[in-house]
Amino acid sequence: MSLSMEGIRPHYPDYSNAPMQRHFSPYADNGGSVVAIAGDDFVVIGADTRLSAGFSIYTRDQNKLFPLSKTTVLGCAGCWCDTLTLTRILTSRMQMYQQEHNKTMSTVACAQMLSTMLYYKRFFPYYISNVLVGLDNEGKGCVYSYDPIGHCEKATYKAGGSAGALLQPLLDNQIGLKNMEIIGDSKLTIEKATNIIKDVFISAAERDIYTGDSVIINIITKEGIKDDKFELRKD
Amino acid sequence: MFLTRSEYDRGVNTFSPEGRLFQVEYAIEAIKLGSTAIGISTSEGVVLAVEKRITSPLMEPTTIEKIVEVDKHIGCAVSGLMADSRTMIDRARIECQNHWFVYNENMSVESCAQAVSNLAIQFGDSDDDGAAMSRPFGVAILFAGIDEKGPQLYHMDPSGTFVQFDAKAIGSGSEGAQQSLQEVYHRSMTLAEATTSALTILKQVMEEKLNSSNVEVMTMTPDNFFHMFAKEQVEEVISKIS
Amino acid sequence: MFDPTSNPPPFWQNGPAPGAFYNFPNTKSGPSDEFQHSQAPITTATSIVAIKYATGVIIAGDLLGSYGSLARYRNCPRVLQVNENIILGAGGDYGDFQYIKNFIEQKIVQEECLDDGFKLKPKSLYCWLTRVMYSCRSKFDPLWNNLVIGGIQDGEPFLGTVDKLGTAFTDKIICTGYGAHIAVPLLREAMEKNPNMSKDEAKALVEKSMEVLFYRDARSFPKYQVAIIDQNEGSVIEGPLVVKQNWSLAHMISGYN
Repeated sequence: MSLSMEGIRPHYPDYSNAPMQRHFSPYADNGGSVVAIAGDDFVVIGADTRLSAGFSIYTRDQNKLFPLSKTTVLGCAGCWCDTLTLTRILTSRMQMYQQEHNKTMSTVACAQMLSTMLYYKRFFPYYISNVLVGLDNEGKGCVYSYDPIGHCEKATYKAGGSAGALLQPLLDNQIGLKNMEIIGDSKLTIEKATNIIKDVFISAAERDIYTGDSVIINIITKEGIKDDKFELRKD
Repeated sequence: MFLTRSEYDRGVNTFSPEGRLFQVEYAIEAIKLGSTAIGISTSEGVVLAVEKRITSPLMEPTTIEKIVEVDKHIGCAVSGLMADSRTMIDRARIECQNHWFVYNENMSVESCAQAVSNLAIQFGDSDDDGAAMSRPFGVAILFAGIDEKGPQLYHMDPSGTFVQFDAKAIGSGSEGAQQSLQEVYHRSMTLAEATTSALTILKQVMEEKLNSSNVEVMTMTPDNFFHMFAKEQVEEVISKIS
Repeated sequence: MFDPTSNPPPFWQNGPAPGAFYNFPNTKSGPSDEFQHSQAPITTATSIVAIKYATGVIIAGDLLGSYGSLARYRNCPRVLQVNENIILGAGGDYGDFQYIKNFIEQKIVQEECLDDGFKLKPKSLYCWLTRVMYSCRSKFDPLWNNLVIGGIQDGEPFLGTVDKLGTAFTDKIICTGYGAHIAVPLLREAMEKNPNMSKDEAKALVEKSMEVLFYRDARSFPKYQVAIIDQNEGSVIEGPLVVKQNWSLAHMISGYN
């Protein structure tokens, strides 16, 4: 870096002759949260439907869940233009795989492919927090979460996006049963997982301005993907 | 015969009026000069057996490698121009590793054969893709592998055509060997039976007397994957057939 | 105004900087093959107001081309008919809009020449523009626009938008620029009360929005155009229309004479 004074914004902008330079950022934070919970033979994923930028809400009805196969769903939050591009490339990669290998890509394979695809853009990343869910080769529910440059972590539950940091400890407590004195060992059912996702989103909408409007939930079992939707606060 | 071919047998990019690419057919002929290789697929696994031509007593037999590992779960036997086969095996290995890298799963045997087939037909004038070779590869390959469909055997010839087989022989003794395979093969064959059958047939079609240093044997099983037979193991099988 | 986030003022200019003997004017250290891509909008157009009603779509935009705070060009049309089932509106840099407009028109002419009866569909144009905007942003050479695409596809009205990054979405109401803050709440409220608006109701609503925007947006203009596409009546561009101004309230605001 040169130490010359060129390009430095003047101290008193109102009295400066220097041209105003509006700099361009290729990224936008369009908010949104994704929560996923895996069970023994199912996995539930939810994402809010608010698409926003700063204080303005672009739309209240934007689905952020992308079914990639009958057993795999991707949830995206972050830079929406990157999400649109990434999911399009993913869908075409799914189709190419199907045609090249005469089989549908498994969730595990898809998880690895997403990681490499993200890392290939290491120096101009897709600014998305991805949560990939599905049934693995044994039919067990699984959740994979990613950072924008492709680090992949397998988990049984995960919160991502603008309210991710807010919700993860809540899930740790409610699903992971962390920091609990008395642990009743009730099995995780689809109903319980869905209810927790609903509660968790209601909480997020209270505290996070980038999460709200409504939630779309996908429940993945060996029978296929079932849709569910419920309303959140809209302010 | 020679007359009809002479006009059209030089270029790889010209069909003859009967619709044939002679250079490709000649390449298939070249395989018939190669050493014999036999593959048998059973429900327990696949066995590959090849002959090694020891042309001089001063030659070190172990340096002739005709059965190689492509990935843990895929092995292959080659016959024809050995130098050409290296290029194809390299491609097969790269494709398998790339598949593992991207998808974190083993490549299926069919996909592996498909990938090598794509290389096999990249001959002719260079275009945007960049031709791999000016002529067809002079190699036939037997792929033996295990994937989610179980043990499988694929055969590929210089035209890039690949077909799944229960049992297949390639190389100079292939015609006789294929006939014999048809006679001995049955669906309930065990791997041990297949191994002895393969060597029995190899023994019949080989010019030299079969011994533990002029054959290579490999088995591909769901438990042990790629397994080359040690000299002692080969001797054990040979003792059973003689 | 003191801005604590900006850098402190230099003590002297063009003198020896630390680590350098002298800064010769018009010289730069470092790699010379740098290329400054990032641009800023020059001549700009303000909001676009668009709504989808029961049987069609309306897109409105005024005719002003602003040069910073200067209201420089007073006849800059920026809503257009792409073909018989697509209409388009644009805000942001006017030059970039003209470039895109040329591009689209060329595409339509090529299509026309084929004469195979194929007509570009609104969702296709919307998707294509998303890809164009995204690929330009990825080269750090953005087209500084907000594009609003309306049309009829499979007998259904369609309304979508793309911004300079390639951020794209569809909705019943789309306003860009200042309109996103001023007109959207107005339109969303009206849409909630009357979800199945008729064409005339929708037109009246757009007219009201343009009026409010003219009062509140310093970069707006009272002359505007409206593009309407309807299932039954096809598409038209109306205008230049004039905002019916009512300043009777003005004298009640203190400090305004």
